[in-house]
Amino acid sequence: MEDKDKINNHNDSAKVITRRDFFNKIGTTATGVVLLGSLGVTLDFLSPNVLLEIPKEFKIGPLENIQPDSVIDNAEHHVFIFREHPGSFYAVSSICTHLGCNTKWNPAGIEGHPEGVIACPCHGSIFDKKGNVLHGPAPRSLDRFLVRVENDKLVINTDEIVSEDKMIVKV
Amino acid sequence: MKKIEWLMNTKIWRSIFRTKLPISTNLDRSLVIFNSLTLHIHPVKVREKAICFSYTFYLGMISFFLFVILIVTGILLMLYYQPAIPNAYQNMKDIQYVVSNGTFLRNMHRWSAHLMVFTVFLHMLRVFFKGAYKPPREFNWIIGVILLLLTLLLSYTGYLLPYDQLSYWAVTVGANIVKYVPFIGTKIRFLLLGGNQIGDYTLVRFYVLHCVILPSVMLLLVALHFWRIRKDGGLL
Repeated sequence: MEDKDKINNHNDSAKVITRRDFFNKIGTTATGVVLLGSLGVTLDFLSPNVLLEIPKEFKIGPLENIQPDSVIDNAEHHVFIFREHPGSFYAVSSICTHLGCNTKWNPAGIEGHPEGVIACPCHGSIFDKKGNVLHGPAPRSLDRFLVRVENDKLVINTDEIVSEDKMIVKV
Repeated sequence: MKKIEWLMNTKIWRSIFRTKLPISTNLDRSLVIFNSLTLHIHPVKVREKAICFSYTFYLGMISFFLFVILIVTGILLMLYYQPAIPNAYQNMKDIQYVVSNGTFLRNMHRWSAHLMVFTVFLHMLRVFFKGAYKPPREFNWIIGVILLLLTLLLSYTGYLLPYDQLSYWAVTVGANIVKYVPFIGTKIRFLLLGGNQIGDYTLVRFYVLHCVILPSVMLLLVALHFWRIRKDGGLL
């Protein structure tokens, strides 16, 4: 009886794993794991760990050197620093939100905005001095950075992006 | 003539060219092509109509020869170019003003590149309006589209290499277009630039793409493209 059962099981050959199938599966799986692994390692390799880029945080000051109602165009960090009359400071990115060109401060302004505008030379986007879009193709307002005051200097970090109502620091 | 005949009967000639001599019958003539590596570019038999200028305007071959010119001039330009800041811009200026015939070489590379984009595009139009993309040629059409994209990518990556204002802002804009890819856009931009802004790594990456990766892929696909023309039944 037992022998017969064995033979019957053998005929149900779909469930039997032969030595060849076993090694085929092991081999294919191992190759797959190695391929996926090398893909991951290569992707990791392509992403540099050390960047020789300028630090994101920088200082501007001392405060009395910043004229009231003036704009500093910090070309190195691509940031405009504004001082408004009563002694309030804020920082706006000078990188256009459309395709990343460098915008310029235009003190002459445009019609309806005589206080001056921020204009992009590449595709003609125009922003007001708070960074809001006045004229496309820019899809959104310029980034505003958190400004802190430390030891009579402004500290700005271009990683700390804040909303318009939180960007102004008063001294 | 006798000297050439003697040369063709030497052991060395016969070891290089596989066709048996003398070539006298049509079969011999077809064997010359059959035994040649260039079989897939130049088939054994061509319809007379297919070699008429107005049939294809030779646009594919013109594109290919421009590609050959670009490889030759590109390799020569590589001898005077370092993909580093600020060397790249100075090297480019040196090629124009210091290197003998450098301006000629650089302009040849530049104009061939512009022309190649143009002829590849016209080639696509020709194939489209003649309906030459229809079965069994639909796969070759896809290869052709990839080749067009590779041509544009080669133009784009080559654009940064002089490292002047034009290239800097063109690549800034291009890299920011990449950023609009959903979810992984920022990551792709980082990998493409080798950082958050254009720098030394960007220049090297574009250089390697322009001089090694893209041309190799292009060459392989061009070979496949030519081979498929013959296998799919010749020019149409």
